Amino acid sequence: MSRNIRFTHSASRNALRTLTATAILLGGMAAAQQRGGTLTVGLGYDIDTLNVYSTGFLGDVQAAVVEGLVAPDAKANYVPVLATQVPTVRNGGIKIAPDGKSMTVTYRLRSGVKWSDGEPLTSADVKFTWEAVKNPKFIAESKDGTEDIASIDTPNATTVVVNYKRVAPDFMSTLFTFGILPKHTLDGKDLNTDTYNEKPLGTGPFKVKEFKRGQYVILERNPYYWRKDSKGVQLPYLDGMVFKIIPDSNTLVTQLRTGEVQLAYGIPYSQVTQLDNVPGLKVVKNSVLSWQHLDFNLKTIDAFKDPNVRKAFAYALNKSAVSKALGGYPTPINTVVVPVFSYTNPAVPKYDYNLARAQQLLDAAGWKVGSDGIRVKDGKRMSFKIMAQAGRSTDEDAEQVIIASLKQAGIELQPDNKSGVAFRDARYKGNYDLFYGGWITSADPTYSVFFGSKGVNNGQGYASAKIDAILARAESTLDPAQRTAALREFQTELMTDLPSIPVTSNPSMIAVTEKLGGFVPNPTNMTNFVNTSGWYLNK
Amino acid sequence: MNATHLLKRLLGTVPLLLGVSLLLFGVLHLAPGGPLDVYADNPSVSPEALAQMRTAFGLDQPLPVQYVSWVTAFFTGEWGYSIRTARPVTQEIAERIGPTLILGGTSFVLSLLIALPLGIVSAVRRYSGVDYLITFLSFLGVSMPVFWLALMLQLLFAVQWRLLPSAGIQTIGSDSVLDLIHHLILPACILAFASVAGWSRYMRSSMVEVLGQDYVRTARAKGLTAGRVVVHHALRNALIPIITVVALDFATILSGAVITETIFAWPGIGRLFIESMNGRDYPVLMALMMAGSFALILSNLLADLAYAAVDPRIRYE
Repeated sequence: MSRNIRFTHSASRNALRTLTATAILLGGMAAAQQRGGTLTVGLGYDIDTLNVYSTGFLGDVQAAVVEGLVAPDAKANYVPVLATQVPTVRNGGIKIAPDGKSMTVTYRLRSGVKWSDGEPLTSADVKFTWEAVKNPKFIAESKDGTEDIASIDTPNATTVVVNYKRVAPDFMSTLFTFGILPKHTLDGKDLNTDTYNEKPLGTGPFKVKEFKRGQYVILERNPYYWRKDSKGVQLPYLDGMVFKIIPDSNTLVTQLRTGEVQLAYGIPYSQVTQLDNVPGLKVVKNSVLSWQHLDFNLKTIDAFKDPNVRKAFAYALNKSAVSKALGGYPTPINTVVVPVFSYTNPAVPKYDYNLARAQQLLDAAGWKVGSDGIRVKDGKRMSFKIMAQAGRSTDEDAEQVIIASLKQAGIELQPDNKSGVAFRDARYKGNYDLFYGGWITSADPTYSVFFGSKGVNNGQGYASAKIDAILARAESTLDPAQRTAALREFQTELMTDLPSIPVTSNPSMIAVTEKLGGFVPNPTNMTNFVNTSGWYLNK
Repeated sequence: MNATHLLKRLLGTVPLLLGVSLLLFGVLHLAPGGPLDVYADNPSVSPEALAQMRTAFGLDQPLPVQYVSWVTAFFTGEWGYSIRTARPVTQEIAERIGPTLILGGTSFVLSLLIALPLGIVSAVRRYSGVDYLITFLSFLGVSMPVFWLALMLQLLFAVQWRLLPSAGIQTIGSDSVLDLIHHLILPACILAFASVAGWSRYMRSSMVEVLGQDYVRTARAKGLTAGRVVVHHALRNALIPIITVVALDFATILSGAVITETIFAWPGIGRLFIESMNGRDYPVLMALMMAGSFALILSNLLADLAYAAVDPRIRYE
């Protein structure tokens, strides 16, 4: 469950939208919030470190402790947190150099924000964050974006001017969104081994009281938290939160049923019905920014180089059967851009389940049904290995449906599932015939990493000069209209070429006590805990 | 056994451990992937950053160099840093060993206390209803998957009856021993169940064999009570083969019970091992496997010592 992809959302959502989102974030809760209580959360993984820059996980606990300048909301739009507004070209926060080759981003910090030890947050902290993460000695999981910055000016305590070496539309995906590091306690320290990794100091609604490895993290109220609700009540409402580490998903469900845990996400689909009947508990569906896909290996498998064969696979794949096998929770999709995004293109070429069409295409491509029902061409049987991640029951179930589905068209698939490092290795190097799996992105996906001919996640060896050009356009503009146009064109082109069949978008199921108010799931990799200050427990 | 012999045996473990370490190191590095693979999922980690990390961890050195530097460091007590958490390996292990010893130790003692009497009763009352019942339960214990049994007991004791907590080592914020015992009951019993099943079978067959010996018949003929015959004459000899089996299981206490620890969210060595395995955290893995090997060698030694204590005919020169 590694933190997959951490790019983030478009710099340039319109200001109105940002304002509305903020209003919802802060003032939208009904009048009945109660103060007090402790929420117990179950986590399905063992936390490695509480430093948001070096953890291999998404950072659920960290999100309640450490804040960034901006953060994505429930609709994956950026809203201001420690900054007073999201910088855009329109509001003057982003200035592009006259030669169009570099840019300057200006953040105005909220005044009066304090760290949970009472010290004030200043622009020096923001500058320090960049320097500390960039430091070659710091072994970070994510240094993304540090190299794009040429320098940072801090004209006064609340103004940060970031000078970028290039026009970087994805600048919000990184550094200052994940969290700001406190200069006054970390200056000159070794971030690899500092106690910060056990007890991070943040400006968030909570601070770490105790972290017992392999067991739990106890968070308590940050007395200096800056945010107040619409009635002027000091946030957060909760006295504290406890994150219990429970690696086994069955046990996690048991703990939910006994009430030992009040919130847990990533509930296996097969166990949702069990939890539906537990009094006092509800299961919420969170449409996360992930899509499941079936990839062709275009490097070594000759049969897949024929686009008609790929299309035949798509017509033969019964996506709604896949969804049904997984309890009906996944949504069949037609493009790799999940429907949460505004630039999803509904007009891409579609390949609705059509067995006759698939048969026809394969016949025309020279693949004739052999004596054993499997197609043959030039003495080669249409038999391939399909790889999924071993042990991921949702993926393995879907894989079975895909195998059965394609068999009807005379295509034989044999599961060749791998786990752990072997799986990752095969996925990145393309050591598979067909690969079924999912990608999850942050609010601002850079699709060239998946489909660009040099993309780091392009293990399948897909290369299209046209796609490269379109994506280069989409990923170098700050103009939302141009970006949307390019991304829509990209989807049409990709679905015409079809190197990868989008199958479903799988939601994350969250079980949560009915007593919890103010809880809004977050679809991005900033986790559900990115805005905990407004959560409250009804007695 | 005298002190010189013991010392010799202990010194003899050094080349053995060296050989084991070479094997483990080789196998680990032959397996696909490396510690930096966790970053492969993350496209935002640049190749430069990866190269930097590789140098920082010494992963860019040739394997033999890596091995030699690891061995020298290891035998001087410098166990290095975890790649996953950046904390000293010794600290990682020190934190996890306590819970593992508590769980493993409890279930070990529990198993012994139950398995030996069960085996004896089974042997003495051979082919009786009690014997058949014990045999049936033993086979159940051996063949039932731990995770299934654990889930069933969690369902009964935690969900239905609300008598015991379903997971964890303590109620958060509580340091009381009673609370710990409360959390210990389910995992310790489940862990013990499989051992009891196995050990009681060994005890039974060993006892059955001894009970058929001439000296036992002689003892009976002298008019001793059945109880005296079993306890004073048969038991001592019947225990000898059991010691080997039990001693080898003893080493696994230190290695932790991977499945049980995971299911019960028990913060022990078994879980540390799995996490380190998934992250290819070489320093932690090597330390854990070396400690495991050492425990195995040590328990073999203990078994030999126990042999001598139980059977005066066995002497080590």
